[in-house]
Amino acid sequence: MLLVRAIIRPEKKDEVLAELSRAGFHAATVVDVVGRGKQKGIKISGIIYDEIPKALLMMAIRDEDKEEMVRLILKYAKTSEQGAYGDGKIFISSIEEAYTISSGIPSL
Amino acid sequence: MKEIIAIVRMNKTGATKKALVEAGVAGFTAFKVEGRGKIVSNPTLILERKKELLLMAGEDQTGEAEKLITDFLVGTSLFPRRLFTILAHDEDVAKIVEAIIQANKTCNNVGDGKIFVLPVMDAIRVRTGETGESAV
Repeated sequence: MLLVRAIIRPEKKDEVLAELSRAGFHAATVVDVVGRGKQKGIKISGIIYDEIPKALLMMAIRDEDKEEMVRLILKYAKTSEQGAYGDGKIFISSIEEAYTISSGIPSL
Repeated sequence: MKEIIAIVRMNKTGATKKALVEAGVAGFTAFKVEGRGKIVSNPTLILERKKELLLMAGEDQTGEAEKLITDFLVGTSLFPRRLFTILAHDEDVAKIVEAIIQANKTCNNVGDGKIFVLPVMDAIRVRTGETGESAV
């Protein structure tokens, strides 16, 4: 099992969630976060903004769904064909165990 | 070292905190999140929950409430939840997971949350600079 953490533009959140749901990945956790990336924030007329609002999506998936999940996020979180600074990042880490609380069953 | 991520109901925050103290771990980080789970396709389960939720609505707003609850249950909306992250020694993981499950189980069958256990490479205590197991 893998935990996919995707940091995307907040205005792309609804679209990405809808497309993930259509592809069968309905489960997700969403957090509003602020942060900056490699470009050290945005500089507008001399003022640097380095706490840029983003949406953090967290999804637990099976190993074999990784490529499909990444492909979907890349496709729908991008702002244009070639992409733009600030479109976000995807991080993937491994999950050793997962439990569903209502049933207590150790599975996704 | 393991990181335990538990997503639980908002109104179970207190019970979860108490269960963690009883399991021997007091330290945790928690924050508000929104999310959704698997699509619930069992119609009797949906009907049951709908009836329960409608009972909570005031008498003067049944029409409005019914629409709201129906939208709520078809699965497009995000539900508020509390996310706990807990750092633990390998041997304590089973005990903590069991404690969280016991504290958060309800008879609703759905929506009680999920627990994930992730490996952690290293931990550092800022105050003393010590690393590894002793920093947990």
